[in-house]
Amino acid sequence: MKKLNFKIVALCSIAIFTAAYSCKKVLDKVPTGVLPGASLANKTGVDGLLIGAYSLLDGYYQGQPGTNYGSGISNWTYGGIGADEAYKGSTTDDQGPDLPQIEQHAGIAVTNSYTSSKWQVCYAGVARANAVIQEVPLVKDGSESAAAGTVAIAEARFLRGLYHFELAKIWLNVPYVDETVTYVAGNYNVPNPGPIWDKIEADFTFAMANLPKTQPQAGRANYYAAEAFLAKALVYDHKYSTALPLLTDCIQNGETASGAKYALEPFNNNFNASTKNGPESVFAAQMTVNDGSGGQNDDGGDVLNFPGGGTYTGCCGFYVPSYNLANAYQVDANGLPMFQIDATTGFPKYNDTMLPNDHGLAATDPFTPTNVAVDSRLDWTVGRRGIPYLDWGLCAGESWTRGDVVPYTPKKNSFYHAAQASTTDNFGTWATNQGSANNYNIIRFADVILWHAECEVQGGDLADAEKDVNMIRARAADKTGWVKTYADNSNPAGGFTNTPAANYQVGLYSGQFAANGAAYAMAAIIMERQLEFGMEGQRFFDLSRQDAATKGPLGVGYMAGVMNSYYKADNRISNPVLGKAAFTSGRDELYPIPESQIEIEGGKLVQNPKY
Amino acid sequence: MFKSLLLKGRTLCLLLCCMVSSLVVTAQTKHTGKVIGNDDKLPVVGASVRIKGTNTGTVTDVNGDFTLTLSPGNVLEVSYIGYVTQDVAIKGGEFITISLQPASSTLSEVVVTGYQTQVKKDITGAVGTVDITDAKKIPSTSSEQLLQGQVSGVTVINNGAPGAPSQVFIRGVANFGNTTPLYVIDGVQTSNMSQVNASDIESISVLKDAGAAAIYGVAGGAGVIVVTTKKGKAGKTVLSYDGYYGDQQPLSGNVWHLMTPLQQAQLSYEAHDLGEAALYDPTDQTNFGSYSLPVYGYHGANSYSTFGSSGVTSDPAITGGYFFDPTNSGNDFLVQKFNQAGTDWFHAIFKAAPEQSHTITASGGTDHSTFLYSLQYLDQQGTLIQTFEQRYQLRVNNTYSLLNNKLRFGENGYAFYRDNNGGYPGSQQQEGGSISETYRELPIIPIYDIAGNYGGGYDGPSGEPLGNANNPVAQQQRQINDRSKSWNMQGNVFAEADFLKYFTARTSFGGNSNNFYYYNTAYQPYEDYESHGNPNGFTEVSGYSFNYNWTSTLNYKENFGKHAVTAFAGYEIRQSGGRQLGVGATNFVTLDPNFLNVSATTLPSSINLSNNTYLYQPVGVESIFGRVDYAYADKYLIGATIRRDGVSVFFPGRQYGTFPSVSAGWRISQEDFMKGISWLNDLKLRGSYGETGFYANTLGTNAYNTYNYGFGSTDYGIGGGLNTVQTGYAQTGIGNPQTTWETDKVANIGIDASLFNHLDLTAEYYVKNSSNLLFPIALPSTLGGASAPNVNSGNVRNSGVDISATFHDAIGKDFKFSVTANIGAYKNDITSLTQTQYLFSGSRIGEFVEEAVGLPIGEFYGYKVKGIYQNAAQINSTPNYSGAIPGAYIYQDVNGDGKIDANDRTAIGSPSPNFTYGLNVNASYKNFDFSMVLYGSQGNKDFNYVKYWTDTYHSFPGGKDIDLLTNSAVNSNGLGAAATYINGTVTNPSATQQALQVSSTPPSTFYVEDGSFLKCRVAQIGYTFDPGLLKSLGVSKLHVYVQGTNLFTITKYSGLDPELVPSVNNQNQGGANPQQSASFGVDWGSYPANQKQYLLGVNLTF
Repeated sequence: MKKLNFKIVALCSIAIFTAAYSCKKVLDKVPTGVLPGASLANKTGVDGLLIGAYSLLDGYYQGQPGTNYGSGISNWTYGGIGADEAYKGSTTDDQGPDLPQIEQHAGIAVTNSYTSSKWQVCYAGVARANAVIQEVPLVKDGSESAAAGTVAIAEARFLRGLYHFELAKIWLNVPYVDETVTYVAGNYNVPNPGPIWDKIEADFTFAMANLPKTQPQAGRANYYAAEAFLAKALVYDHKYSTALPLLTDCIQNGETASGAKYALEPFNNNFNASTKNGPESVFAAQMTVNDGSGGQNDDGGDVLNFPGGGTYTGCCGFYVPSYNLANAYQVDANGLPMFQIDATTGFPKYNDTMLPNDHGLAATDPFTPTNVAVDSRLDWTVGRRGIPYLDWGLCAGESWTRGDVVPYTPKKNSFYHAAQASTTDNFGTWATNQGSANNYNIIRFADVILWHAECEVQGGDLADAEKDVNMIRARAADKTGWVKTYADNSNPAGGFTNTPAANYQVGLYSGQFAANGAAYAMAAIIMERQLEFGMEGQRFFDLSRQDAATKGPLGVGYMAGVMNSYYKADNRISNPVLGKAAFTSGRDELYPIPESQIEIEGGKLVQNPKY
Repeated sequence: MFKSLLLKGRTLCLLLCCMVSSLVVTAQTKHTGKVIGNDDKLPVVGASVRIKGTNTGTVTDVNGDFTLTLSPGNVLEVSYIGYVTQDVAIKGGEFITISLQPASSTLSEVVVTGYQTQVKKDITGAVGTVDITDAKKIPSTSSEQLLQGQVSGVTVINNGAPGAPSQVFIRGVANFGNTTPLYVIDGVQTSNMSQVNASDIESISVLKDAGAAAIYGVAGGAGVIVVTTKKGKAGKTVLSYDGYYGDQQPLSGNVWHLMTPLQQAQLSYEAHDLGEAALYDPTDQTNFGSYSLPVYGYHGANSYSTFGSSGVTSDPAITGGYFFDPTNSGNDFLVQKFNQAGTDWFHAIFKAAPEQSHTITASGGTDHSTFLYSLQYLDQQGTLIQTFEQRYQLRVNNTYSLLNNKLRFGENGYAFYRDNNGGYPGSQQQEGGSISETYRELPIIPIYDIAGNYGGGYDGPSGEPLGNANNPVAQQQRQINDRSKSWNMQGNVFAEADFLKYFTARTSFGGNSNNFYYYNTAYQPYEDYESHGNPNGFTEVSGYSFNYNWTSTLNYKENFGKHAVTAFAGYEIRQSGGRQLGVGATNFVTLDPNFLNVSATTLPSSINLSNNTYLYQPVGVESIFGRVDYAYADKYLIGATIRRDGVSVFFPGRQYGTFPSVSAGWRISQEDFMKGISWLNDLKLRGSYGETGFYANTLGTNAYNTYNYGFGSTDYGIGGGLNTVQTGYAQTGIGNPQTTWETDKVANIGIDASLFNHLDLTAEYYVKNSSNLLFPIALPSTLGGASAPNVNSGNVRNSGVDISATFHDAIGKDFKFSVTANIGAYKNDITSLTQTQYLFSGSRIGEFVEEAVGLPIGEFYGYKVKGIYQNAAQINSTPNYSGAIPGAYIYQDVNGDGKIDANDRTAIGSPSPNFTYGLNVNASYKNFDFSMVLYGSQGNKDFNYVKYWTDTYHSFPGGKDIDLLTNSAVNSNGLGAAATYINGTVTNPSATQQALQVSSTPPSTFYVEDGSFLKCRVAQIGYTFDPGLLKSLGVSKLHVYVQGTNLFTITKYSGLDPELVPSVNNQNQGGANPQQSASFGVDWGSYPANQKQYLLGVNLTF
């Protein structure tokens, strides 16, 4: 008995110790389901990190803090709704309080969640670009040549410059983060002592010096994209004379990454997924659909920005063109815009009379579209009643909106019904067909030409500036690019006639620039940008960069004047959101830096003036 | 197992008695006898048998036998710890068997303290025990609920959803993430006890302080709950049946206090809301003051010009134009007839529901082996339609002994199959859950449209949408084919051997293996406005997870004179891991559940693997530990533990920690100077100090920089095409190799008393300092989008008092009763923090919980409402804010800077109660028994987020509280244009809610309510049939009872139920953030846990 007892105890002990020994590595666990940093020190890793850096160009990513609406690349919020070209749309409190604040400027909270997500996504882009710059020197396995490594760094610095540019035009005073900033170094509370244009320019200068003129893939940055961005940075930095030769070179010699000579193409090709990456696309955020991402690579920043009702059974009625924008397309007898200020009303002359529209009419009330002469770009920019809405049918005006303060709907981000299957997907699980493959052109060739005009005005060559503006207007005057009526209104898929859908009149300037002087020329250029880039998220920045708040040439209160005039004009129609708007000079030309970041940085980051 | 330890204890007592007693034997007649326990019929070893009134006596031997020389007429006084002392008159010379009744004093309980069992009187740490008989009276599908109101210092927050686990905090919340205690079930260390069959449970003890829990080291910081399950007992095979069947009733009445459609029409006019007024009378948008309800609503592609120009009348020729195209929502023309009286959405999805449970248990054994088998079928249908929990469970517990009981081995095995649907807080305690839609969907919307399809916000008068809420009936009914199934096995095998007289070696391998499969179908929500065109979809997920621990211990136990020493040392490893595969797709031709799987999609590119497929990070823990207890003369007790743990989630060099504790007790009542106090049965003073740790909420990747790729996060269409992307990489996690575990230092002082033979009392005071709290410090965006690592930052102090008392007595022979009361009060305080944390930033009103130094965890945060501005002069003369109009709330200028802004937000209430309490009453009269359990929580605040939707006008159109009409300030310019509100005055100064025209309601005291409550958790009346009557049927016991649960809830809280389970931190992210136990007390529309139930139950033993 005793022996057996002993045997069993001995046996058990041996078993326990053997097993314990074999389990010695209980604590030896590697991270699971993720990649360790070391696996990226090769060509594939560098390429992948670079693609990862490109992938934030659409302005958002799966798992980001905050919403895609607040951070999308089109800046429909800060650049559009924050300016005089669009309202928030939808019902009064929808996306409140963040989005109404941006429309009103009466007191954008420092805790605004939209600005917070934009800030974070842009810096995520910066960090991803820095990751490439950090990784290239670590590649020791011979898989990447020194030359390829330099190009990778050049693309990364291009992207780093671009993401910083996004930040700088919204907040101006932002931290500049380079590859030396890391968690381990503990130097991540980066201050924002002032504008960082010099550093952005340095990144684009490096990129320009090291990027090839053509690239194997259409979405990559090339020499001319870097040159155009460098010029854009210099324009925002008010170094017009330095920018001018770069812009001239771009106009004369520039070509896309695919090797196509820069050119103005039919206007609407810029807003159609089927014709993207054309000769006008200097650099675009590439949007793709049905790629397995559940809508995460499409134009997801704009998923709310489709008509809110009607045949177009989309959602959600946000980002509706303002009366001011639609009115701006009214032209004088010469087919020229009416930007001069009316001394009695204080409005631009185009705002003295409302472009006739269907506000207040029921869907069933009769309505005939106006015969008032308008610029042809109106009907590629603004959906209005009785005009073909791409191939969806006649736009029904106010009954396609949601919230009913305005009869207009956005159009540039929409897509053709016929191409719906191939150019859209569902954003996430709820926005059906609201993710579009329309690229967002961060710079298109028309931009380059109009900056060139602006630099010429600053340099005193008004005639050449007028020539540039007329290049843009000539395209708008070309009948082949106009919106036409349907062959059969009840069958919009049946194609179009050759009859213009409205009374389009686009005239060219003929010496007015030189005759009326530089101030007139600048006003005409700003007006031309308003018409050309309406609903492209640029208007706010085109105003703020001229204002003294950014050391712009048009002085103190320029932007406040434009904006407060707009509020007054548009509030002739009762509007519960815009009704509370007020623009304060010296504050609202910049957005407030997210308070959370100021808190996290523990005092290193300083709020913009007066917030 | 208990018995064997107890037997050994008895042997030791015998030895002790032999040594310390001087026995006087007088020469009369020799009598022999045996002492057995009435409870288990086993011999009582070491019982004192004494001739009453003399010093003559003896103690029973290892077989419970004794021999004494007696005179006729002598009375024997038989006593033994844990049993009622009994007097037996001696008549003749027969062999007498004396059956001792167990004492009900809790001091004699055997308590399982983890790796050991101890008699309660010897315990020096803070160990709470659950009276399992009381606890089991509440039928529960989640066994944590057994703890509610039963143990002082343990807060249990119940969830009403069938099968959903409850939240348990031991002595308060100690960090910002999960404060889930460690559960040890038959030696298996795991994270919940939710699915253990309550009928199988033998005992539950709660280790509250370091003196008790430090033996679990780095896993014990949040407290430890030790559960053992029943074993068979030697003797006759016993077959028993326990079952109940019952009915649950949903809350009744207008639970959200909502308006009728007519009142809503009136409201829209009073708000001068052109848009919404148009819903009610599209023919006349300007004539404010008159309103009518529309009869029909429509929306869709077709344009019927003669129909619906007004939208309020019916035209049979046009309702015939109804068209529903399930394959292309663009062709829909949907028409619904409005519910003029208003749809009661809550009661459209909450219905009376049955529940039942049946358990059959067979147990028995011999001297060498015991067995217990139990089978349970449990079916709880939720009152929320299409929610249920069904479980089929099997338990097999066996023990065997060899070599004269010196070698013992056995197993505790538990397996169940579970089928569950819906209702978890993941889908309820956040925006968009169907319960929240019962107040958000407009009452005017009918459940079904004119063709019997679902009604919804899509079809409004004039084709205008009716809000953006969802039809909750559709949401719930569409879950009809959704299932979540799991197959789970848990338990352990063990062996132990006694050797070298004083030693016992034991090894136990136990764990849990869970296999799960769930799938759900998304229907095209054609009735909703915002998602009208969404495609249908189907997702299926399967996976497994496991954890196991292997524990080997060596015990030593020896007595030297008055000195008693026990010691043990152990080695343990724990491992966990698993993996999961999940696939979703959209665009199916049919949703027939007998056909559907993801590969049936018609759009292959919609197949998405990324969200639900992942590897679990394996975690390993390796430990050595030991404990020594020393007692002198059963009076002075001292114990010490030490444990050294290594945890794989931290970086090498930061993995190992040592956790010591000491505890001491003084049984004052054993002192000679106390012996004379007759009313004092027992009195013990005890104290402990020690350290435990906590590492939960930390991933195994925490120490490393990690990278990943994803379709949506890093891929990019660099090639410029429409649908081709290239794979990119990005950093996803920032590593911190410095991070290590949280430390909890706990000091505890307690007193255990047994008084007047009727009252047992335990009281203790504790201070628990948790330091090096593990959570991610927010990093600036300059570091990009990779997630921040957990670092050690911040300290929290919990201090409090736990008191419990039991009074038991009998009046006459037939009436017996006992009353147990317990109360736990704690104060929670963040004592240091690197960075203030804010929660719920994704809500519609921004963040409203602040974690900051000087505040308790989970403190609500916002403005303090002081009143309502009456006129412009008042606004101008007091601190104000942009947008303030007469009728808006006046907020307190907390920092006194003369203006109201974000800096005036402050602490406005804590979800932690001042104290929680429980009261158990048990009584029996003859064959009748009665019991009642009350549970209450006092001083906790609830953040009623529902009020954002129902009690503000500016939120989306939906159901609105009647208070908006009756209680809102009225601005005299309220019917004019926006700009003139400022010039108006408030015409009803007594109003308590802000004017309808105010366009935002940031977090403030407006949302915070007193969440105190007292619930009658259960009341039960039972009857036990006379065993004599049943004998012929072979039945030894038959007990039947009727029971009511949640018969009343006393509270001032205006929502459904003041008891609120944790909510999802950022609701807009659709549950992407894990639910955190510290995010409690927030009401989005929680599944109420206070619904009445009525049950009929039977306990039957053969």
